[in-house]
Amino acid sequence: MEKTGFIPGTARRLVQGPPVYYAWVGLLLLLVTAGLGAYVRQLQHGMVVTGLTSYVPWGLYIGNFTFLVGVAAAAVLLIIPAYIYDFGPIKEIVVVAEALAVSALTMVLLFVTVDLGRPDRFWHLIPGWGILNLPSSLLGWDIVVVNGYLALNVLIPTYLLYKAYRMQEPNRRFILPFILLSIPWAVSIHTVTAFIYNGLAARPFWNASILAPRFLASAFCSGPALIVIVYQIVRRYTRFHVSDRALFKITEFICWAMAVNLFLLGAEFFKELYSDTHHLAPLTYLYAGLHGKDALVPWIRTALAFNIAAFLIFLVPRTRKNFVTLNLGCVLIIVGIWIEKGMGLIIPGFVPAPLGEVWEYAPTGTEVLVTLGIWGGGILLFTLLMKIIIPIETGEVTRGSPASPPATVCAVSPGTGPEGEPLLGG
Amino acid sequence: MTGSGPTRRIVLLLATLTAAAGLLSARAQPSGEPPDPGPGPARVFQAPAAGDAAEFPVPMKPLPKTITPCRACHGPEKDFQINWTREEGLRVHTHIRLNHGGNKVWCLDCHSPLERNYLRPLSDGRLIPFEQSHELCGKCHGTKYRDWRHGIHGKRTGNWNGDKTYALCTQCHDPHSPRFRPIQPLPPPAKPRWPQETAHHP
Amino acid sequence: MKKTTHKGKRSPRKPTPLHGDHPNRETASAASAPGSLAVPRRTFLAGAAGALGLAAVSACDWPAFFQQNFRRLTPGEIDETVARLQAQYRQRYGRDFQVDTEGPIDGTLFAYALDIQRCIGCRKCVYACVEENNLTRDPQIQYIRVLRFQDGTMDLEKSELYYHPDRVPEEGYYYMPVQCQQCANPPCVKVCPVQATWQEPDGIVVVDYNWCIGCRYCMAACPYMGRWFNWTDPVLPEDRVNTRTHYLGNRPRFRNVVEKCTFCIQRVRKGRYPACVEACPVGARKFGNLLDPASEIQWILRNKRVFRLKDELNTQPKFYYFFAT
Repeated sequence: MEKTGFIPGTARRLVQGPPVYYAWVGLLLLLVTAGLGAYVRQLQHGMVVTGLTSYVPWGLYIGNFTFLVGVAAAAVLLIIPAYIYDFGPIKEIVVVAEALAVSALTMVLLFVTVDLGRPDRFWHLIPGWGILNLPSSLLGWDIVVVNGYLALNVLIPTYLLYKAYRMQEPNRRFILPFILLSIPWAVSIHTVTAFIYNGLAARPFWNASILAPRFLASAFCSGPALIVIVYQIVRRYTRFHVSDRALFKITEFICWAMAVNLFLLGAEFFKELYSDTHHLAPLTYLYAGLHGKDALVPWIRTALAFNIAAFLIFLVPRTRKNFVTLNLGCVLIIVGIWIEKGMGLIIPGFVPAPLGEVWEYAPTGTEVLVTLGIWGGGILLFTLLMKIIIPIETGEVTRGSPASPPATVCAVSPGTGPEGEPLLGG
Repeated sequence: MTGSGPTRRIVLLLATLTAAAGLLSARAQPSGEPPDPGPGPARVFQAPAAGDAAEFPVPMKPLPKTITPCRACHGPEKDFQINWTREEGLRVHTHIRLNHGGNKVWCLDCHSPLERNYLRPLSDGRLIPFEQSHELCGKCHGTKYRDWRHGIHGKRTGNWNGDKTYALCTQCHDPHSPRFRPIQPLPPPAKPRWPQETAHHP
Repeated sequence: MKKTTHKGKRSPRKPTPLHGDHPNRETASAASAPGSLAVPRRTFLAGAAGALGLAAVSACDWPAFFQQNFRRLTPGEIDETVARLQAQYRQRYGRDFQVDTEGPIDGTLFAYALDIQRCIGCRKCVYACVEENNLTRDPQIQYIRVLRFQDGTMDLEKSELYYHPDRVPEEGYYYMPVQCQQCANPPCVKVCPVQATWQEPDGIVVVDYNWCIGCRYCMAACPYMGRWFNWTDPVLPEDRVNTRTHYLGNRPRFRNVVEKCTFCIQRVRKGRYPACVEACPVGARKFGNLLDPASEIQWILRNKRVFRLKDELNTQPKFYYFFAT
């Protein structure tokens, strides 16, 4: 085990790695740079460089924002079994999910920032100095809960990792309240995000009670699917051990969440189709086209097909436990939910417009580049966090003496794993 | 009297002078004042000093220059007979196209047959001068008249809590053909710059 | 190495790139090269960077950046803000602008009534509003949208906004202009995260353009397309700007902020009718004080059949439609 200063050691670890690491980071930096350049262009010319209009004032940025809040909220799906049910296989690996939540929340904040017309006036949101319109404005609440959840997800893993690094026992009485708080908080961030749309009587597509449950159900599909893929990458490239049992348990959650999501979608279909009022129009626009405008139809039908296929994959144990189909299912879910909750939620909310017109939306190249840049930045952040966290988790990097094994809540002890298999590293 | 040439000439001259005097005196009225009643039995209708009339002074519409005191030609003692029933093809006033109420309304429904300088009288016999033609319009168009008095019918400009300017009926409506002609509308709004598509229905 | 700082004391022998830079660093390096006028490289670079930063920072309009919400400004600050805006407008448009900041008249609650029986769809109101309120021509914003319906339906989805016949009114159609309804229960005010939009005591829902962060939540919340966004810098014809403006109304706006109809706040707070009322050739538009029993508005509400758009949303618009017949 290395015994060295934390900062220099970390800095060294961040810039050292196998060639694939350099290629990966290089690609992400390229995306970030392109995104930054596109955003500068947006600042220079105004938001006219986007495809947004006064008919569809929210588009790609807010769609990604919505999707990523769901991903961040899904970390709770692992926190509950890890800390409440003490489920060993997940307990070992939850910190990766928390790091994913941190990256997702950073992307959330970035997407909101690039969507603002006047980001230089961000200080108007700070209570006291500016005005934060609570309790009335759901966007105000969203800022509070997202930042609070980010703080929790930075605090908890940092504390636990710090204790692991120092080879000390974490103080459960100190950290457990925060962990317990993060569970309803995770649900709340996505509920508040749903309420942003839900509360608008002007947009009947969103003004349905089913919106918040659908948000949570779809979040609990997409987030864990991303986590499953990430875990496989992490255990492939590092000494971090993730048991198959943990992965399969997560996919079980995904299966039930997707079942709920599809059921709620069916309920939405019934209500609109059977009542057959004007409020059917946005759903018609999305799934079949309205007055000849049908740009979203192929997208949403693909998303629906993906979701159903993924549900079936995760339902059947044989396909759930086969890593080829499992990964296929994860990818299908991520893409399907991204479409359904991103563009498939935002755009139909604005169609038809309040006075009856139908105007569509398509993102411009600038918007796409900024989006890719933020995704690149978030993934880069996650990569760097993993570079810091994993060695601490596997016990490769500590500050204590090698004789005393780390006895932390979530670090893996060298020796045998929970399923009895020998572990690498140590 | 048996007219000798000179006597008849003097009588004609006097009559002409009287007529000319009447003509001139009528023309000499400045617009804005009630016209001289002139020879005739009618009592002139004076607009009541109602509250709103005092607060919102109505700009008097000057009579068109083509209008002459109708008594110059019309009247029981004049040559033209009074047509009590509708006659198509108004002989002299060919520039007036009558398109008011179809075949239910014609000239003498508004113009007083006996006193052509005035419009039809109110129910108590007072004749309505041209300057207060709105009182006549209100006899048939009562609801519009009531709305107009309260500022609902017709345009008002100025101050919502102060002086307003509003129009008399005949300042907007041609009394002989009151229905407005359709006008050209101003251009429609520009479509959203993105995406470039047509409106939502054909 | 212990350094003593002498604030403001500068070595007279060396040119100081930045006022206030550590003088002792220079004296220390000067000590190493006595008599030399060369500035040590590290100092120069630090100083140059600092100078550039300061230049960039001082080029920013700091009073504009730190301006508080309009409702929090003291009268002195309001005057300063107005003066600053007038200077900006003078530079941008070459004209002297009057930027009023007067408050509501006591005892007023404005309401609007539109005679749907009379409207002929000529759009004179639309363009009068564009002129009066300095609306951008390109990209185009129009607060008033005149919808054309076929006789027999008021289904908004079947309405037509882009009609352009030779003559109006057309046989078999009727027209209904829609603009901000100045709701008494405004959803746009509810959702603004920074309270950049609020309802004034006289009932007008206003926007502080210098406080809006451009999140466009209010646009998503409005059921009447009452709010519009400046996606880029507004373009006004230089010879037709209206220089009689109100801070919360028709003063020229900037990019990336939301704007809306304010019942011509610059006119009505001085007792005048809004521009659209005066422009309508058939007198279909009526405006007044709801609290005045003698107003036209009150008479309409008492004597005419009125309705409001999307009443079921409980936004309580102060824009009534009526049939005069």
